[in-house]
Amino acid sequence: MSNQGMNRRDFLKWIASGSVVAGASALGTGVVVPSGLWAAPARIKGPIKVGYQAVLSGALAGYGEFHKMGAQMALEEINAKGGIAGAKVEMEFRDSTTKTDDAIKNARYFVDSWEADYLAGIDSSGQALALGPVMEKLDRVLMVTHAATEKLTEEWVFKKGVKQIFRICTPTYQDGHAAAFVAKDLPALKWATVSPKYEYGFTCWKMFQETLKKLKPGVSFATESWAPFGTTDFRSHINTVMDANPDGLYSTEWAGELITFMKQAKQAGLFDKIKHVMLPVGAAMDVLEGLGADMPDNIWISGRYFFLYPNNKNNNEWVARFRKRWNHYPAYVSETGYSALYALKAAVEKAGSKDTKALISTLEGMEMNSPAGHRVFRKEDHQAMYDVPWGKTKTDPKYPFKIMGEQKLIPARMCFNRPPFEGPGSEPPFQK
Amino acid sequence: MLQSVAHVILAGLSTGMFIWLVASGLTLIFGVLGVLNFAHGSFYMLGAYFCFTVLKYLGANFWLGLLLGPICVCIIGFLVERFFLRYVYHLALPYQLLLTFAFVLIFDNLVKMVWGAGSLTPPDLRSLSGSLEIIGRKFPIYNLFIIGVGPLVALGLWLMIEKSWWGRIIRAASSDREMAAAIGVPVPALFTSVFLFGTWLGAIGGGLAVPYVGLLTSGMGETIIIEAFIVAVIGGLGSLKGAFVGALIIGILTAFGTRFFPAFDMFLTFILMAIVLLWKPQGLFGGTK
Repeated sequence: MSNQGMNRRDFLKWIASGSVVAGASALGTGVVVPSGLWAAPARIKGPIKVGYQAVLSGALAGYGEFHKMGAQMALEEINAKGGIAGAKVEMEFRDSTTKTDDAIKNARYFVDSWEADYLAGIDSSGQALALGPVMEKLDRVLMVTHAATEKLTEEWVFKKGVKQIFRICTPTYQDGHAAAFVAKDLPALKWATVSPKYEYGFTCWKMFQETLKKLKPGVSFATESWAPFGTTDFRSHINTVMDANPDGLYSTEWAGELITFMKQAKQAGLFDKIKHVMLPVGAAMDVLEGLGADMPDNIWISGRYFFLYPNNKNNNEWVARFRKRWNHYPAYVSETGYSALYALKAAVEKAGSKDTKALISTLEGMEMNSPAGHRVFRKEDHQAMYDVPWGKTKTDPKYPFKIMGEQKLIPARMCFNRPPFEGPGSEPPFQK
Repeated sequence: MLQSVAHVILAGLSTGMFIWLVASGLTLIFGVLGVLNFAHGSFYMLGAYFCFTVLKYLGANFWLGLLLGPICVCIIGFLVERFFLRYVYHLALPYQLLLTFAFVLIFDNLVKMVWGAGSLTPPDLRSLSGSLEIIGRKFPIYNLFIIGVGPLVALGLWLMIEKSWWGRIIRAASSDREMAAAIGVPVPALFTSVFLFGTWLGAIGGGLAVPYVGLLTSGMGETIIIEAFIVAVIGGLGSLKGAFVGALIIGILTAFGTRFFPAFDMFLTFILMAIVLLWKPQGLFGGTK
């Protein structure tokens, strides 16, 4: 009896398709689209179809909505400017739930029944890994926008040669290795964790420990407490950590569970005792907004993107457009969903084709500018290389939630594993 | 060591009392009406959402939310009992499960349509966020309050069922519906009142969970209903005493497991249920009927 299983309802899909129409019809003022004889000849036989799936039910349903906002906005922008190489872009958005079977079913439906040209989305690492062999058979590009397991790109793409998979978000390297680069400069020597009791939690903690040991040989690791998916009561986990009396706490709890954990930890006085706290997924908008003033100051947080970084024209304008469109700050999955559609646009226009083979060879090594900054899809494992900061939470009267104050950037090239992903020299730290 | 054991027990007691609040309504309804109400978890969820809405629109007075929220849920409970459940009392258990499970899906999706798909965080309830230092570590006063509420509810239920006039009629009607009806007890109305009372208990549990969990999600009732079922089975289906003792055992066992045997934390509850079922299939306090 799984939580998510009971919730999957198709009417959300129906609502989604309704909002596509409503959104598209709301556009169109001030955009002049060349037509008739003066239009560039359409090189691609349209439409270009994007099948997007993310969690729209259960406790993580908010993430799906954030994906949708980003992808939907990109779709509207692209179509308002004449589509991709003259072809209109269509998108269907489906509930991936968190179950592997559902993700596979959706992928099959998208390709076999709906004739999608390109797939995107996926929140769960388990689903991403299960889709590896499926995508190879379906032979469509899947642009992963949230699932973080490094095994997806290391094992499936690099070692087993499933070329159809790409990832536009940062992987566990940002959560584990990059955190260790930040932790090495903190005056904490004894670390503990409260993290999710599944692959993601285990992997990140292992990366954090291994890299931190290399960077700072004196560190020790006091205790680990693993919270099963769906935990609403963290008091025993909090007791476990406080009993071990560490100076630093590292936690890859995320989404609603992180909100509950932080509230309960605060009530138990954990932040009075443990001064250095690192939350690799703490910079998610749902967490920052959900916690509001309950998020203490000076907690180290990161994510796959944070809307105040990079502080340049491109990103700031995007955030402004996003807020105007949705009356909301963009979550990190909004950025990755948005950029996933622009990656498709860039690749199709460069390749002059929407054919999967052409898309793969164009995407490999492709560079793109996105709200999150400059991205390069690494040729070997199809992982997008881009930088995301770690930063300390700070109160700012301009925002109704805590923001990243003091920031520290660990460049992706210094903390991402490198091919061939085994043997010496494939794991950080790297100097350059 | 004393500090860790004491805090593990406190954490276990507060967890257990939460499960009890949900299990009590579930058990009462099963014991009297003979319906295994799967949608009881939905009433817990609705209790939380209505409480949230009261807090949001009528100012952050938690007690007002706790008073009004469950009353709204009772109205929904009334409609469910009067127009649907009433017609399956005489049917086999699978039909009852199908119907109540359908309500789980309906309520989860109604919540999504009304309150949105994402999780909600309640407004800041500063007045409830105090802590007390117990053996050198802070413990939330609110959790102490929950630990106190549990036994009070148990005592109230016991007095009502065993000592009151209403309780005597309920016991009579649940042991022999026809005879009770024959001597003039309005059985359908009586069952509705019991159903509403059980629903109210579940909704109160949901309302109390708002500051405790600090997060509302559609589907939040499903985790707790499974725990409440386990507790009801261990204690003996239909036995309020059993549900109370079962909830205490599960709460404390889970807390100890998480702290001292983390590898087995999820496993302990189910192994206990398996042992109880093998050794005493009717549950710890289950009758033989």
